[in-house]
Amino acid sequence: MMKLLDISKKYGEITHKYPFEPYKVADNFRGKPAYIYDLCIGCAACGIACPSNAITVAFNDDKSKLIWEFDCGRCIFCGRCDEVCPTGAIKLSEEFELAVKFDKSALIQRGELDVQYCTQCNKPFSAKRLVKYSFECLSKANVSEKRLEEAKNYLCVCPTCKKTATVATFTSGKEMVIE
Amino acid sequence: MKCDKFIEALGQRVKILEVTRQYEDQVTALVELSDLPEAVRFLYYDMGGYLSTMIPNDERSINKHYALYYALSMEGGKMFEGDEIAQDEKCFVTVKVLISPDSLVFPSVTPLVPACVWYEREAYDMFGLIAEGLPDKRRLVLSDDWPDNLFPLRKDAMDYRFRPDMKEHYMEPEYDFLRPDGTGITDIPLGPLHITADEPGHFRLFCDGDTIIDADYRLFYQHRGMEKLAENRMNYDQMGYLAERVCGICGYAHAIACIEAAEKAINLEIPARAQAIRVICSEIERLHSHLLNIGLACEVTGNYNAFMHIFRIREYSMKLAELVTGGRKTYGNVVMGGLRRDMTGIEIKESLRILKIIETQVDEVWDAVMDDQRQMKRWKGVGILDKQVARDFSPVGPNIRGSGIKRDTRYDHPYDFFKQIEFNVDVVEGGDFFAREMVRYMELKSSVSIIRQCFELMPQTPIIIDPTFHVKPENYALAYVEAPRGENVHWIMQGSAQKVFRWRCRAATYNNWPSLRFQFRGNTIADAALIVCSLDPCYSCTERVTVVDIKSKKSKILTNHDLKEFSKTLKNSPMKDLK
Repeated sequence: MMKLLDISKKYGEITHKYPFEPYKVADNFRGKPAYIYDLCIGCAACGIACPSNAITVAFNDDKSKLIWEFDCGRCIFCGRCDEVCPTGAIKLSEEFELAVKFDKSALIQRGELDVQYCTQCNKPFSAKRLVKYSFECLSKANVSEKRLEEAKNYLCVCPTCKKTATVATFTSGKEMVIE
Repeated sequence: MKCDKFIEALGQRVKILEVTRQYEDQVTALVELSDLPEAVRFLYYDMGGYLSTMIPNDERSINKHYALYYALSMEGGKMFEGDEIAQDEKCFVTVKVLISPDSLVFPSVTPLVPACVWYEREAYDMFGLIAEGLPDKRRLVLSDDWPDNLFPLRKDAMDYRFRPDMKEHYMEPEYDFLRPDGTGITDIPLGPLHITADEPGHFRLFCDGDTIIDADYRLFYQHRGMEKLAENRMNYDQMGYLAERVCGICGYAHAIACIEAAEKAINLEIPARAQAIRVICSEIERLHSHLLNIGLACEVTGNYNAFMHIFRIREYSMKLAELVTGGRKTYGNVVMGGLRRDMTGIEIKESLRILKIIETQVDEVWDAVMDDQRQMKRWKGVGILDKQVARDFSPVGPNIRGSGIKRDTRYDHPYDFFKQIEFNVDVVEGGDFFAREMVRYMELKSSVSIIRQCFELMPQTPIIIDPTFHVKPENYALAYVEAPRGENVHWIMQGSAQKVFRWRCRAATYNNWPSLRFQFRGNTIADAALIVCSLDPCYSCTERVTVVDIKSKKSKILTNHDLKEFSKTLKNSPMKDLK
């Protein structure tokens, strides 16, 4: 019994002053994912990787915007989104104080991205930034000017129209040009 | 090859219809339904097996039958010195039977091997398979108001549109407790909720005066249907994280066991560095879990001073986990094929510094606790787990090692990096509460040494291999991990499209519960909490209200039933005979 008291004396006070002073976490702490809107291209890689479906990427009701949405209440802080993001738009932060006051909507974070309309059918199919990002990647990939110009048009066509075009090529025998 | 010896011996006893090999140390023998009890008994008692898990499975879509898999860990009886199978012959032998969906009946193994009792009760709850001859046919997992003809793990059973409505709490049927015969026996209910407990569980103690004669318990208040969830809508990437959340303390062991079961089913060998880091993380988990339990062992007996000191040290182990994985509790780094996160040199250096602190401070506090005679009196001779009871019920972890049986999955079936690591299996004779805490203390020390060895021997290989594996439907395998509380066994049968067909997750405590009632017997009520604590869950007392009439100095205990009756009818006030 007395030995225990000696140990107390030896180590002194070890209680942290938290919350009156910040609590320091380890360098690679997996905290709340921080979202940098300016870097997000709306590719939805994070939404597919997220095991708990905390991140969703979907069009809004009238399909005028692509909505990136993160629900902190569902997040399990695994860091898969951080791993897969091609542009570093989502990074795990050191933030761990996540409580909200009676308002669950405060847990939700949203990013609205402009949509890209298909040049053929005029329907939205992706985010403008993703198309721009894909084009930038291509232009760094040592592709000839002419092919690059073709790609620029091709990128702005939705998958459905691409499919139709391919089928048309096969059935009619002549190439359908996308402009 | 491994296991052949046992299959040959089994073949002389009963007729084996088919033998299949899942992994180098795992073999399944299909036997006739009528031979099942004898086959399991023979492997269990005559050949030196312990029951690891039993998996009921709905295989009607594969072979038009239900199947049962009794997985036995062949390691020797271990009742005396030398009663052990040679290290390179230890393996898992699974006895498989097929049950026709027309009869749904199978002969119970429990009368011959008591360890099967919970598994066979669960087989009824989940699949409606009836164990003929099972002495205890009550429900185990599902609640008492669950509809009689709905078996959730059958493939065609659960459509969420037909989910049964909950009954009002006063309509719930009463659960039958196994009451011992005799007069003058008082029921003491403990549970299901308590302010200090995370987990609800109801214990019914039958007492004569202050002494517990027998005990019965009702658990699974927290059943969440994870197995069904994983079967229905999860892929392997998601399952690891779900498995990690099975337990709030030893979750990482579940994550590894779950992912390794999937890896073993397709014979995938992960890189050595990933194996080493998996071992390091699981040993860190052991550090914090054992410190938690030793701390609580002091707290339950009122020694708050020691409890606070042990939790102060535990904080270092949480810091250690935060440092090497980025999370204090959920490490979240296991994926199929390896790991997601490597360790850097700086992290290893810092880890070694923290390990040194933990090692010295644990010794200091443990010495001080051991010196405290009053503390020792509360621990010694309490909750004795008899060696023969342990042999019959296959408990795991510190619970059985405290009874002098050298059972440790890390030693019996070395997985991952344990093949290259030297460590002692800590066994203490005595079987009482003190012996179990002593095992935990010794394991803390060996954990520290295991982590150090891993740091030293960890090779510079990649930590993940290219996941271009092919999942093969209907392949299955067992994976086993020594969690802080004992062996966690996961069994996975793979389905098509990156999904599991059946996932059976058996946590360590599942094997420890059935023998708990023998540990209760002969102890006082005051020690009941302590005995439950030595397994690691909790107890409580919300179910009763004591009413004391100050004037007449009479008191009466109202049971749950009394209160319910009174609140329903508002007649026959239970207080009136006090006046």
